Amino acid sequence: MPEWLNILIRSTGLFALTLFLVRLMGKRQTSRLTFFDLVTVIVIGVTAAAISLNLVQNLAGGLIALAVWTLFPALIYVLAIKYKAVRDIIQGREAILINHGKVLEDKLMEARMTPEDLLSQLRKKNVFNFADVEFAVLEPTGEVSVLLKKDKQPATAKTLNIDVGRESVPQTVMLDGIIMDEPLAAMGLNRKWLHTELEKAGVAPENVFIAQVDSTGQLYLDLFDDAIQVPKPKTKDLVFATLKKCQADCELYALGTQQPEAKKMYERCSGVLSEIIGEIGPLLKR
Amino acid sequence: MTVSTQVKQTLASLKGVRATLETFASIEENREAKAILSRNAERIKQVIRDIDQRVGVLEYEEPQYKGF
Repeated sequence: MPEWLNILIRSTGLFALTLFLVRLMGKRQTSRLTFFDLVTVIVIGVTAAAISLNLVQNLAGGLIALAVWTLFPALIYVLAIKYKAVRDIIQGREAILINHGKVLEDKLMEARMTPEDLLSQLRKKNVFNFADVEFAVLEPTGEVSVLLKKDKQPATAKTLNIDVGRESVPQTVMLDGIIMDEPLAAMGLNRKWLHTELEKAGVAPENVFIAQVDSTGQLYLDLFDDAIQVPKPKTKDLVFATLKKCQADCELYALGTQQPEAKKMYERCSGVLSEIIGEIGPLLKR
Repeated sequence: MTVSTQVKQTLASLKGVRATLETFASIEENREAKAILSRNAERIKQVIRDIDQRVGVLEYEEPQYKGF
């Protein structure tokens, strides 16, 4: 058998074999390779290359090596799922690099990280000042996860003490000018309603690229013709503004009237209305 | 514009708001939001009743401006 034919047969066979063996090892995300994964993959690759290039004279020996290097990791992964101790050995444990805002030098040393490495990893997380960090962990994959100090964390509605409306998922009722009946029905609406709303917005149905309905039945549109400006639904804002106006009116009447009884009534109304505004405001603003 | 017409305008606005809130409440899927909307629509109804009574008194006092 000539040399080239030998290599051709070996390569073809190994190609199929490695494909099968790698599948056997299971699906692990390549972006989350641990050091151990990396070693296994390289050994498999090199062994397969060596066998297929006929660098290994003993074919059976080469195949045994390949089998061991794929079956053992596969076995260990299964064990790792079952036992924490195995997991810690092969995947490594996370190391705490910064705790309570202080860099732990010995942990850094253990992880073989230079201070520059740490700073550059922090910068990748958009942290340019290490003093902003409360807690940082080196993950087994080599990435650094960062928890910022409370006062440096981005403001959320909760920390700002703002009451926000409950967000419910909008339903997509039109795509590419085609009306989707199922989401419409899920919202308790129908085609007739949609046509009325489109007419209100002054838009032809065939011109609509995407149409979504939010939980209070407001229609949001995107058109094929981008030159046309679609009016944004204003009902919620309008209701909110009208409520505020009515409340102000009541206060004005309370000031204007001479009768104490009417004055009291207007004041009560104004109070109730401002309570309503406080309660309902988060729902009407988005 | 007399006081009575102004109050009538406010009354009409409130009625409109109440109707819109009730529409929202009927479409809203989220039970919590639905409850808030319908409860507040009900509270606006109370305010409307109060102001409606006041309109009656005003019309009695200034019968020349009765109606719209």
